Amino acid sequence: MVDPVLLIAVPLGLAFAIPLFALFWKPAAKYIPPVALAFNLVISLLLLPKVFENPVIVSIGGWQPPFCINLVAGPVGVLFSAIIALVGLLVSVYALGYIKEGAAEKYHMLYILLLTGATGVVLTGDIFNLFVFFEILCISSYALVAYLRDRSGIESAVKYLIQGAVGSSLLLMGIGLLYGQFGTLNMADIAEKIASASPISLFVPMVLLITGLGVEAAIFPLNAWLPDAHSSAPSSVSAILSGVAIEVGLYAVARVVFTIFAASSILLFLAFLGILTLLVGEMCAFSQKNIKRMLAYSSVGQIGLILFALAIATSHGVTGGLFQLVSHTLSKALLFLAAGYMIYQAGSMEISALEGIGRKMPLTCLAFTIGAFSLVGLPPFIGFPGKFLVVRAALATQETIFIVLISMALLGTVIEAAYFFRVVQVLYFRGGRYEESSNAAKTEEPNPPAEDAPVTALVPMFIFVVLIVVVGVYPKLVTGVLNSAASELLNRLDYIGSVLG
Amino acid sequence: MDFLNSYIYYIGAVGLILIGLYIILVKHNLVKAIVGLGILDTGVNLFLISVGYITKGTAPIFSRPGIDSKDMVDPVPQALVLTAIVIGVAILALALSLAIRLYQHYGTLNLRKIREQKW
Repeated sequence: MVDPVLLIAVPLGLAFAIPLFALFWKPAAKYIPPVALAFNLVISLLLLPKVFENPVIVSIGGWQPPFCINLVAGPVGVLFSAIIALVGLLVSVYALGYIKEGAAEKYHMLYILLLTGATGVVLTGDIFNLFVFFEILCISSYALVAYLRDRSGIESAVKYLIQGAVGSSLLLMGIGLLYGQFGTLNMADIAEKIASASPISLFVPMVLLITGLGVEAAIFPLNAWLPDAHSSAPSSVSAILSGVAIEVGLYAVARVVFTIFAASSILLFLAFLGILTLLVGEMCAFSQKNIKRMLAYSSVGQIGLILFALAIATSHGVTGGLFQLVSHTLSKALLFLAAGYMIYQAGSMEISALEGIGRKMPLTCLAFTIGAFSLVGLPPFIGFPGKFLVVRAALATQETIFIVLISMALLGTVIEAAYFFRVVQVLYFRGGRYEESSNAAKTEEPNPPAEDAPVTALVPMFIFVVLIVVVGVYPKLVTGVLNSAASELLNRLDYIGSVLG
Repeated sequence: MDFLNSYIYYIGAVGLILIGLYIILVKHNLVKAIVGLGILDTGVNLFLISVGYITKGTAPIFSRPGIDSKDMVDPVPQALVLTAIVIGVAILALALSLAIRLYQHYGTLNLRKIREQKW
């Protein structure tokens, strides 16, 4: 019997053991995160087939569910923890070579803590415990954004910290209001009792919870911190923030809306917010000259699309949203990883500085191009089935409002295609600087060597590429898992029943 | 007066929360904004405590005979607040250390002057 508690306990223990190991052997610090996350990935994959039949409920401390803190390892939780562990593992392998300067053992410790917090959020069944894990995630990401200690990193970390801290205070207040009304913190127990409360007294806690979680999920009016934080952090951290942290925020919003409040009246509003987030994100991304800011705004746009798909709230819609979420996680992590070494090589984050770099770093740029095409939604890659499922779900509702909204989402996709193709064109077809310099160098050096990213970076990038292509060609590999995850989110009575017994 | 007596803690908590939010939104100095964050945190903690408080209640310990469990305050919010205080301390410490770094880079703590990153 594999225990889901291990998914949280082992990385947490290893995180705090890192400074100890580093005392004896300095490089130990950077080898611990891959070990911890590989362990998590194995445990999640072992749990995955089991939780399809019955969610595994772990009661901590030997009390029965309404009174104890419990973990609910259902299809959603284990799916998310597997994705977190997979992306975390690949990015930690990338970080072996990428993180050279600064206090490396602190980086690796915070890195594991961030992912442990994320795993905790998706597995817990207790709303205050969700807050605590959320804070673990947030505090480690504030510190990681400022890791390089440069001007922009510190400035964006301060912005992120203030907005995030206000958000979590609102979240805590919402939790307090819920506890005051129902006298319980167990999410299933609150969900069961919520039918007896008056709608007016539920409105305030719901708004507080959605606003508090929406800061971390970067839903439109609350996303001001995201482009700064994601573009100033080291690229490996950006990959995790974009690929894991905001998705976890969205998961929490979905859990609150679907399972706890069963708030069908707010779904249309969330769908509007999603499309607004999408359009704002894509339009801002279009006007960026800095490649990492462009990727960060593109994350805002993708989050909007996922939120819209979840807000359709049919089983097709939620499946499509989760598919899009998986596809965004893989593609955006790949894009940030590739961009990390492209920036390192070019010495600048400006898109214009990357002209012709595709000939100098062919493999890295190939990975970037595949990530970009996948995010736009071109057919052989994972982005295509994701967007296709979302569009199909929106059309299947046969409601005018959703059809209008999805057409606006497609408009956003056109903008997205425009800026990604522009970057890919700059990478390969603008000769500019490198051609001239190689012409000049021809007299002395006939063949300037290609300086591609090191192997520790190329291996994780190409694992991402393989995953993107394989799942893109055979979407059935994951749709089974996603279907049962979607039904867990939508069938709250099953969730309540399985937790409370 | 009856209303004031029974809701005085909630009024205080919401007052602190609003004061904290006001400081964060209006003040230009980062250290003042961090103080606002602290006040906001305190307000939320006071709110959580008052959710479980009973006037003239005792600690929830069954040590002396003759204490009815109805007279005890709810221990759960107190446990929550203990955790929330620890989290709040971590955030404040991190914020202050970032403020020191920010001052070293920019030579000012005025947030209106530190705006290199825009849309």
